[in-house]
Amino acid sequence: MASPTPPSPVGERRKPSVLEVPFGVNEVRLNGPQWLATFIILLVVILLTPRLWDKVERFETGPDYRIPYTLSKDYWLYHRRLTRVSDKKKIIVLGDSVVWGEYVLPDGTWSHFLNREAGGKDRFINGGVNGLFPLALEGLIHYYGQPLRNQKVIVQCNVLWMSSAKADLSTDKEEPFNHSRLVPQFFPRILCYKAEATERLSAIVEREVGFVSWGNHLQNAYFGQQSILTWTLAEDAGDPPRYPNVRKNPFSQITFSVPSAPPNDPLRGPNSPRHKSWETAGSPTRFDWVDLDSSLQWHAFQRLIGILQRRGDDVLIVLGPFNEHIVAEENRPAYRKVRDGIALWLSQHQVPHVVPETLPSSLYADASHPLTAGYELLAQTLYKTESFQQWLKSP
Amino acid sequence: MLFHTWPFLIFLLIVLPVFFALRKTRLWLPWLAIASYFFYGWWNPYYLLLVAYSTTLDYFLVAFMDHCPREKQKVDVLARLTRLRFQDRFLLVGFVTSSLAALGLLAVALAGPLTLRPAMLGFDLIMLLMALGALFSSRRIWLIISLVNNLALLLFFKYARFLVENLNAALSWLHATVHLPDPSALMPYGFAYVLPVGISFFTFQSMSYTIDFYLGNVQRERNFLRFATFVCFFPQLMAGPIERAKHLLPQFHQFPPIRLQNFTDGASLFLVGLFKKLALANYLSFYVERVYDRPAAFGAPALILATIAFGWQIFFDFSGYTDMARGVAKLMGFNLILNFNNPYLSTSLGEFWSRWHISLSSWFRDYVYIPLGGNRGGAFKTYRNLLLTFLISGIWHGAAWTFVIWGLLHGLGVLVTRELERSAFYRERVPKLLKQGAVFMFVSFTWIFFRADSLHDALFIVQRIFTGAWQDPQIPMLMVALVAMVWLYEFLYESQFRPLLKTAVVRVALAVFLVIYLCLCSSGGGAFIYFQF
Repeated sequence: MASPTPPSPVGERRKPSVLEVPFGVNEVRLNGPQWLATFIILLVVILLTPRLWDKVERFETGPDYRIPYTLSKDYWLYHRRLTRVSDKKKIIVLGDSVVWGEYVLPDGTWSHFLNREAGGKDRFINGGVNGLFPLALEGLIHYYGQPLRNQKVIVQCNVLWMSSAKADLSTDKEEPFNHSRLVPQFFPRILCYKAEATERLSAIVEREVGFVSWGNHLQNAYFGQQSILTWTLAEDAGDPPRYPNVRKNPFSQITFSVPSAPPNDPLRGPNSPRHKSWETAGSPTRFDWVDLDSSLQWHAFQRLIGILQRRGDDVLIVLGPFNEHIVAEENRPAYRKVRDGIALWLSQHQVPHVVPETLPSSLYADASHPLTAGYELLAQTLYKTESFQQWLKSP
Repeated sequence: MLFHTWPFLIFLLIVLPVFFALRKTRLWLPWLAIASYFFYGWWNPYYLLLVAYSTTLDYFLVAFMDHCPREKQKVDVLARLTRLRFQDRFLLVGFVTSSLAALGLLAVALAGPLTLRPAMLGFDLIMLLMALGALFSSRRIWLIISLVNNLALLLFFKYARFLVENLNAALSWLHATVHLPDPSALMPYGFAYVLPVGISFFTFQSMSYTIDFYLGNVQRERNFLRFATFVCFFPQLMAGPIERAKHLLPQFHQFPPIRLQNFTDGASLFLVGLFKKLALANYLSFYVERVYDRPAAFGAPALILATIAFGWQIFFDFSGYTDMARGVAKLMGFNLILNFNNPYLSTSLGEFWSRWHISLSSWFRDYVYIPLGGNRGGAFKTYRNLLLTFLISGIWHGAAWTFVIWGLLHGLGVLVTRELERSAFYRERVPKLLKQGAVFMFVSFTWIFFRADSLHDALFIVQRIFTGAWQDPQIPMLMVALVAMVWLYEFLYESQFRPLLKTAVVRVALAVFLVIYLCLCSSGGGAFIYFQF
């Protein structure tokens, strides 16, 4: 076997050539036309694959559909969902886990009861995502919410995100949080977000390049929210752990059908042990409310309204339903100051909004999530509100 | 800043256009130096001082060496000392400044802050040696200063803790009450005692220049900026290839010609390197880490396969880095030497070392093995020199007994295969594939010592490989298939079917496959293994 390289220490000294060095030891050496061909093929693949996938992959939604909890970070799917419901007759309800329905089943959500109030039509669409907060919601709608144009949109404003510097993400100490790929990566600065530059830039690339988002969709939908390579090495919960995927063909995992949520979710719904009033285990709490002027979450919410309005959406803000009962008596004025401050800003900027009455204490599961009956009552009261009806009837 | 990260892409997108825009000016070289220092400083700006110090000292040492006669001359030391009567003014300036600096540093060491004392005494020693070099007009002393300085940097940052720990263990075994302090205590002003990335590479590169100049193999580089760029050229600063002055320095004398082929070749090299790192090395590391982190939890097959997987991991990791380094340099029109040549197809260990980390093995050949006597002086001396060279090579890789054993095993392996090659039966009758398999298995075996966290772990793994139960190794089939595909490609490359790989269709198809695979299957970042050396 001929070796073009210098001899080993065993060999004799050889005069090395000065500038002539071999290219390498493989034949992946493309010339200009070959690179051009590669570029064209890649461009076609990158542009067409997500579109073709949209046609090929089954995505069954139906009434009361919400993005399954396990697919919360599948933003490509979220975009696809919004594309499907972009219809002037439909009203998209945007928000965090309050809209999504953390403690309830799909038929116990706010949008479900709004539809019931509207006469059973599938008019209100659950656009909530579990784990979101205004900074992430802004990113989600900015980068993946382009289909939302000239449409009626309800945005739920959860003041819980301004209830402490930690919730507001305005602390200096590093805080892990959900959906970090949606938040502003460089500006405005989130001090408690300490990701390295490469991670931040990856997030930006993912938002901008549909093919990468689609790749993440595959990971979310078929590979348990991990890369395909990591999936092959995933371990079970045994001790010692076993590795059930090592013999599996990764490609056989791709079933061309978006997984749906389990029909009987044991963690949610009236039969779940979590579905109980906060009063059974909690007591009033003192919140360290942040100043609205310096609140990152509130500023993000303001920007979110701007994004939707610029896209021609008819936006209605629902400020609540926050559980005032959980707020310690002496702390309530501070809460009301925040709530009223938000309402004042919305009024000043002529943003239609509703501030629903606080629900009865027993209908809350925690500081902001209602139980099934709470959502029902909220939908009923909201539907009866004059300003809501006016907004609904406006062209 | 790692080659496979987005910040590097942004860095490159700034560096390259400015570099080409400056092609008609003299500023392209300073720009390259600035970019290289920025690249290194991104990791730890404080250690830029270390690169700058090593570069400056070696630059001046060679300048002083250049002013000393090649032949031994009688020097009137007394006249020089008492009347400063030097024939060469440069040496006179060197003598006076280094003497004054030595005195000043001694004063600072004695009267200044305590935290500065060790560093000041170290610099003081260098200054004293420099004064002696000028006084005796001795090229050898200048060379010794360069060697002492570079090796002292390596010794302090890389080996001091290992030495102190072992000395302390020996002292406590002897019931001595003396206990040596941790080397971090010698760091001034509480600076962190961490191994500067790439120190083994840039010190070796700088040292090779001074040795080559001493031996008369290269001309003195008078342009400081050019020399600084040679030492810190960013594509190869962190993990090589360790370039020789004779090869790289002339490339900085004029702006390289701009050719389309530089871009296409550079992009090709970079793509292959990226694939090796992200799709192969990182993937293999998942399995290797799992097994090597808890060797007691796995049976013999898993340990064998994890060891083989590590062999491929380190190959993909390091050769991937080198490919990317060569690719980036090529984009700018510079040629870096080939560092890997399908080493796992070697039929002897000697051949393996001519295919693996070529720039390092040739460095050890030229600056350790041959100066030790090489293969001149009979079999015993040849074998002694070989063993010593491999022992030093092992220590170069890391400060642990596992690396010492790894180096010695390779040394012994080279001796054995060298002897076997002498027999006609082995040379002519043993099939090539069998030789390749034997070399691969031996190299894989030695990787146990390279990879294990401690000598105890390494010995435990060796024992368990031979005595452990035969359980399902649970290695992913995808991993096995990927490595098999690469091996097959290497075989085809070195076979009569190579022209098939050269066809445009195969090249384009492979490039498309690599990019799409990287987009969909790569597994994030992770530093390169050889950065720790």
